[in-house]
Amino acid sequence: MIIARDVHKRYLTDHGPGRWVLQGVNFTIPPKLNVGLIGANGAGKSTLLQIVAGVDHPNKGSVERQCKVSWPMGFGGGLQGSLTGRQNSKFVCRIHGHEDDIPDRLAFIQDFAEIGEAFDHPVKSYSSGMKARLQFAMSLAFDFDVYISDEVTSVGDAAFRNKAAAAFKNLADKAGLIMVAHGEATLKQFCSAGIWIHDGKAHWFDQIDDALKAYKDTLKK
Amino acid sequence: MVRSASAITLAVWKALFLREAVGRLFSGRATWFWLLAEPMFHVAYLVFIFTGIRVRNIGGIDTTIWIMVGMLAYFMFNRTGTQVKNAISANQALFAYRQVKPVDTVLVRGALEGFLMIIITSILLMCAALFNHPVAPSNPLAVLEAFFGMWLVGLGFGLVTSIFSELIPELGRVINLIMMPLYMISGVMFPIATVPQPYRDWLLLNPVAHGLEAARLGFADNYHAVPELSIAYIYSFALVSIFLGLALHRRFAQRLTTK
Repeated sequence: MIIARDVHKRYLTDHGPGRWVLQGVNFTIPPKLNVGLIGANGAGKSTLLQIVAGVDHPNKGSVERQCKVSWPMGFGGGLQGSLTGRQNSKFVCRIHGHEDDIPDRLAFIQDFAEIGEAFDHPVKSYSSGMKARLQFAMSLAFDFDVYISDEVTSVGDAAFRNKAAAAFKNLADKAGLIMVAHGEATLKQFCSAGIWIHDGKAHWFDQIDDALKAYKDTLKK
Repeated sequence: MVRSASAITLAVWKALFLREAVGRLFSGRATWFWLLAEPMFHVAYLVFIFTGIRVRNIGGIDTTIWIMVGMLAYFMFNRTGTQVKNAISANQALFAYRQVKPVDTVLVRGALEGFLMIIITSILLMCAALFNHPVAPSNPLAVLEAFFGMWLVGLGFGLVTSIFSELIPELGRVINLIMMPLYMISGVMFPIATVPQPYRDWLLLNPVAHGLEAARLGFADNYHAVPELSIAYIYSFALVSIFLGLALHRRFAQRLTTK
């Protein structure tokens, strides 16, 4: 269960505080529900994801997480360039308290990412696709109650996308999911409920279709 | 299963320590060699200059030992301080995992640097022993006390400056400016005891100057250390700065990771 109470967020710019991105967002996400975040570019979808994941903090209000929430998958952070894929994976295993079964999880990550020898090369030598594969594999290696995903299903080449989508579907069946995606089909495929972010407020819809409809209605004007 | 806060912190410290160690020792071509070579060259060229002008002993002890012990104590402070100061900006990518807090990276870097400096110090002293210099300290505990004090001062300095240089980048530049002459005024290259009063008291406001003298005195009982030498000053300075640093980290923890 994730409860957001009156979340306000604005970023600090070089010229003082910027505009309010989120202004009083309230919602409660029950366990095992897959939620899609919908909104125009710059509406605050990724901002909200980061706050829900606990990576960024709201200026006002709070987010309560009563379950294991993943780090935000697929936004490029969390990898250290000078270390190899294997070393980065080990690090993430350790901070998540999986010291004992590191070999198993490493094997899984290596197997899923399919980046071959590059797994033992420094991450700074990776292409963006390879980085995304590694990150995706890393986040699948742990059991979270809720996975936070920012456009991860759109990474990699066609073969990997299919594999990722299958793994993701499997994930969506057994755990909760909060995702941002711009593809309507992707949202419909994975999510049952939707949150539409508009003018700094969040609107909850039990059906993703209704959320998409509300979003599209504002576009026509 | 939700892990306890202390279990998470311990796991993070261990992971960070191993990761920092790999980065510090193997991030480039023979990085570990330069870690060792830098203090070695500093010592070597000072020894070269001092023996060139026929200085056989300083303050009653062997010149090489005087230079080497002072330099290593200085490096203990300086390396710990700078590494800790830059910990937050160097680990920015890791704050993507909410388990990792800025203060974790800072403390782990301090521990790693202290650990590495102990190894480097031992290696350099062994090298000096090969050249028949009297490296056996007459009071090993006093040497440990001085080096540990320098490590604590470095940690405290780094804790405070890591916050300042992160929240106010301009202050980071000012701190670097202040750090530059520190090498000169800490008594690495000349004995503080030769400076006349009242200037000596000014130089001795710097805890590093005390630490260097204390380390040399620990190596040789007969060393004419500066009379105002105070171990208590080193440790009180360290205690106050570490407390201040931790308090600042507590106060600004959220600000550091907020974008």
